[in-house]
Amino acid sequence: MIEVKNLKKEFQKTIKDPGLSGAIKSLVHKKTETVKAVDGLTMHVDEGEILGFIGPNGAGKSTAIKMLTGILTPTSGTLEINGQIPYKNRKEYVKEIGVVFGQRTQLWWDLPLVETYSVLKEIYCIEEKKFRERMEFLNEVLDLQEFIKSPVRTLSLGQRMRADIAASMLHSPKVLFLDEPTIGLDVVVKDNIRKAISKINKNDKTTIILTTHDLNDIETLCERIVMIDKGKMVYDGSLYHMKETYGKMREVIIALNNPDEIKNIKPDKKFGLNADDYEIEKKANSVSMKFNSAKVEIPDMLNYILASVNVKDITVKDADIEEIIKKIYKSEVNPGEAV
Amino acid sequence: MKQFKSIKRTYGAFVNAGIQDFIAYKASFFGFFIGEIFMCFVMYFIWKAVYASTGRTDFMGFSMIDMMVYVFLTHISGFLIQTDATFSIASEIKDGSIIMRMIKPVNVDLSILFFEFGSKIMIITCVFVPVMVGLEIYRYITLGYVAFKLVRLILFMISISISYLLSFYLNLIFGYLAFYLLNIWGFGVLKEELIKFFSGAVIPIAFFPGVVRKVFSFLPFASLTYTPVMIYMEKYNGMKLIFNLSLQIVWLLVFIGLSRGLWKWAEKRLAVQGG
Repeated sequence: MIEVKNLKKEFQKTIKDPGLSGAIKSLVHKKTETVKAVDGLTMHVDEGEILGFIGPNGAGKSTAIKMLTGILTPTSGTLEINGQIPYKNRKEYVKEIGVVFGQRTQLWWDLPLVETYSVLKEIYCIEEKKFRERMEFLNEVLDLQEFIKSPVRTLSLGQRMRADIAASMLHSPKVLFLDEPTIGLDVVVKDNIRKAISKINKNDKTTIILTTHDLNDIETLCERIVMIDKGKMVYDGSLYHMKETYGKMREVIIALNNPDEIKNIKPDKKFGLNADDYEIEKKANSVSMKFNSAKVEIPDMLNYILASVNVKDITVKDADIEEIIKKIYKSEVNPGEAV
Repeated sequence: MKQFKSIKRTYGAFVNAGIQDFIAYKASFFGFFIGEIFMCFVMYFIWKAVYASTGRTDFMGFSMIDMMVYVFLTHISGFLIQTDATFSIASEIKDGSIIMRMIKPVNVDLSILFFEFGSKIMIITCVFVPVMVGLEIYRYITLGYVAFKLVRLILFMISISISYLLSFYLNLIFGYLAFYLLNIWGFGVLKEELIKFFSGAVIPIAFFPGVVRKVFSFLPFASLTYTPVMIYMEKYNGMKLIFNLSLQIVWLLVFIGLSRGLWKWAEKRLAVQGG
């Protein structure tokens, strides 16, 4: 479905010395440097997959997305989507894809929302019957009815985002690119949008590339993630595998009938854990204990705790992917390397 | 044929949206309209004073009536060929929102053009038609016979359409400069003033000395409002008419080619701003 090989994009960037003198100097003599925004990206995405495309700010995600959507021409490397080369014949290619840039809108700002859909209907030459079916489906999934007749400029951010997703899905594209579709939204709206994305993916078998900084998006939607940093891929695999590899730490939260009893348990001594593999933190009504599950099996740890103290409540939490990603970002930062 | 149908369908939607968008901002439009009409009357009284003080009925081959038709028609033509292409494309390039056009299966230039067509249709019905009717009634009352000729109106419409397209593509080319300059405000102003001067909107080109007039008459700017107005006023006839219309068409093709070439060049080297 999507085949990317050794994709690169370089930009010429003007550098200006600081201050007024720098500004005047740059009027006469321009200094430029080459920035490698995407530096040798290779990946493959199957049909119907939802791929989480993540990385810190400035990692090159947006540049990569812009090449995948046919807006930017790569400096080198190959990419093929749907059997087409995006930048070769942009107008043909974009008929088969849908794009949402969370920070921009494709809606007609001064016109009622429904007018955007009728323009899109004509642009993509959608038949009347199909258009109505599609609107019905999108309305059901994204709940557009209450504001479809309002001018776009009067919509709230959440409504606008739903409307934008619907606009990108109207022509039943095979591939959908969502660049930060939940940016700036509240928890409830985020949740609705996630549900809608998931429904669209199941209903149409749409391949979805999702970039986001909200890791909850990733956790609810993506089975596979690709992480890039400084234009290079640093991780490609399932979320589960990432947790397995980088996230052996588990957290046990214990509430005790008698909080003082906590002194009675010393798992670090019992299992011989060092400081890297064990951490304890006292909270208001409970105790949080983090340990490396590669060193101690979870049942062993639980048995030990239950045998030693009088427990009111006990919870075991999965590895927090936010923590994992922070670790990966950090470990991949390579300060010696020229950008 | 099928392809033509789908093109018509696609860009027809843009015309439709353009009309609706125009109506959404009617207050701003009427302000502009009233301002233009006001300017016309100022010009009318200035020229009336000029003719009164010289005591002649004919001035460089322009009678008082001719001058009135010239003033009003030039103004209305300026209105018809006016285009926001420079700033609309430049601002989209500057803030990067041009990508929202690029993710749609449309030509960037045509999508802007047809959207603007929508507002032109509104201007023709709301401004052009009433002003022309008024002007012809004025001519009839002063001259005592019907000076209006349908053929001239049709030729005028053809010529002004070419002028509009010329102006649109010229503006688009200036707009594309934003790919390199990012902020094109200064160049935008320069372009506006040059076009006004060279197109005879400030002083009729007929008033310039011979050599200058020759040069001006070959430049595309001269043809923007001057050619359609001269055609309507029956100052251009026979070979002169054909020559001037052809000149317009040649320049139009040059500008379309230039803007398409620039776009192709920019598309390959595009660096999108923001996000």
